[in-house]
Amino acid sequence: MPVDSIKPTRSGLLLVRQRLTLAERIHRLLSMKLDGMMLELIRITEQAVLQRRRLEEQYTGAREMAAVAAMMEGETGVLLAALSVEGIPTYTVGHRNIFGVQLPALEPAMVKKTLDQRGYSIVGTSSVIDDAADAYEELLAEVIASAELEGGIKQLLNDIERTRRRVNALEFKVIPELKELRRFIEDQRDEMERQELVRLRRIKKLKAMRPGSR
Amino acid sequence: MPLPGVISPSCIYACTRFRVRRTALLPREEYLRIMQMSIPEIVTYLGRSEEYGQEIDDLMHDFAGAQLVEEAVNHSLARAFRQALAIAPGGLHTLTGEYLARWDIANVMAVLRGTLHNVPRQQVRDLLIPAGEVDSALLDHLLDLKSCDEILEALLDWRFHPVLAEYYRVCGEQGISARIEGELYRQYYAGLLGPAPSGCSGCPEMAAYLRFEIDIANMKNLIRLHCAEEACDLTVIDRTMIPGGYIPISLFQRLYGIETEGEFVNLFLKTDIVPVLARAVRELRQDPDFSSIDAAELVWRRWHQRRRPVHEVEMAVTRIRLHQLEALSRRHPFSVLPLLAYLERKKYEVFNLRAIARGKAFGLPSERIWQYIVL
Repeated sequence: MPVDSIKPTRSGLLLVRQRLTLAERIHRLLSMKLDGMMLELIRITEQAVLQRRRLEEQYTGAREMAAVAAMMEGETGVLLAALSVEGIPTYTVGHRNIFGVQLPALEPAMVKKTLDQRGYSIVGTSSVIDDAADAYEELLAEVIASAELEGGIKQLLNDIERTRRRVNALEFKVIPELKELRRFIEDQRDEMERQELVRLRRIKKLKAMRPGSR
Repeated sequence: MPLPGVISPSCIYACTRFRVRRTALLPREEYLRIMQMSIPEIVTYLGRSEEYGQEIDDLMHDFAGAQLVEEAVNHSLARAFRQALAIAPGGLHTLTGEYLARWDIANVMAVLRGTLHNVPRQQVRDLLIPAGEVDSALLDHLLDLKSCDEILEALLDWRFHPVLAEYYRVCGEQGISARIEGELYRQYYAGLLGPAPSGCSGCPEMAAYLRFEIDIANMKNLIRLHCAEEACDLTVIDRTMIPGGYIPISLFQRLYGIETEGEFVNLFLKTDIVPVLARAVRELRQDPDFSSIDAAELVWRRWHQRRRPVHEVEMAVTRIRLHQLEALSRRHPFSVLPLLAYLERKKYEVFNLRAIARGKAFGLPSERIWQYIVL
């Protein structure tokens, strides 16, 4: 029932009180959820910062390994080894639930490979190729881990924004309006009660003034 | 037919030409100059040189920077090796062909893999270095073919065709390319170490050089297998090791299972790798007290930590091997050794120029790049 159509009656007052209680409870729960999400956001952000740092270090290391491999085997040798790769690295997407928010959970698949799975021949290549392959496999794993955390942060931020809007709407619009309405109904009902009292007293006085009433 | 022990004039002529060609290779001072140059300066320098000028001019439109340098030196290598093949007479020609078959293996495998994975033709073409018997025309023809069966058919006259035909049963089977490549290299070494042509001067020394190369390669590959996260069985070791070295494969199989320092060091000290390794580290670290036991312990530490060989040490070992080959070629001036020394020196000149260009492109410091130069 819309707020405007609530009548200043006892049932209307009960309805408003009920709604107010519900709104306050939702506000409390959403505030708690918001706090929880903020804490989770801080935790994940700290993890993401560390992860990003690891990713950058890994990237520098991988670039250096690629440089050494290109120096020793030539880009031709590195590309020939890359041409041998048979399994394409990928990831599977799952979800984990944090305060009702679905955060992405990425699981690397075929990222870290054994020597056999890489597809190149050990006899035809040198150990720099292994080093470069190891470094880039680890880099790819770090990229996936970073993507998971940063995707989670974005999702969490969206949800925090939405929840904050709800909390603010409850705190600054819904609850004050309901309180206002409750006060209005109470005032109306008080007024009606006073009118009723005045009316009764008037009737009583009129009855007393009627001749033959004594 | 030349009498046994008598060197034919054509062989003397060819060996002299290879010695002259070797003198045309870049000396140490030139490397020091190149190290001071930026990549555009290196391109200009190579463009003015007799050896690489033609290739730089030809490729300038398609490539730039370090890529141009790498492509130009690769093309120059292919040209020089094909010229060497043309110069070498009789038995030397056969040996040269067998020695250069390594490039053919790399090219054929690149074409096969390109066909398997539908890699664009031009991309595969850029990776090929036609320095062996399989020439550019045949490689271009192979690149035009659509299936592995057609490629196999076109390679009917290739010396390793039986190996391909035996292993390439199913086109695209998982892991088959690596197995074929491994088998091709095993056959390559078997062919090189096979019976030498009668009266071949320097062939025993060349065989010794190759046997030691096999030992080094086997040891490196054993360490790579040990470093891998998954354990491997004796079959894998057997499949990975190249037969023909001084060290028997059974010793590598025993080494793989050892997890105690004493046992490892004692067994490793029995190999012919240790003295060369010790000398390489002595030269690299400028440490005259570095002994064979220290070398064995160094390998043990890497082995125990499951870490791969240090690349700088690998390069130092290569330097010593080349130095030994050079000394042998001087001792046997009219044999297969001057040819082998020239081929190896030319190969490492190309590798050096490539390393400098790539190192500079990645912004590595000069001292670091210098460690990868083989002089």
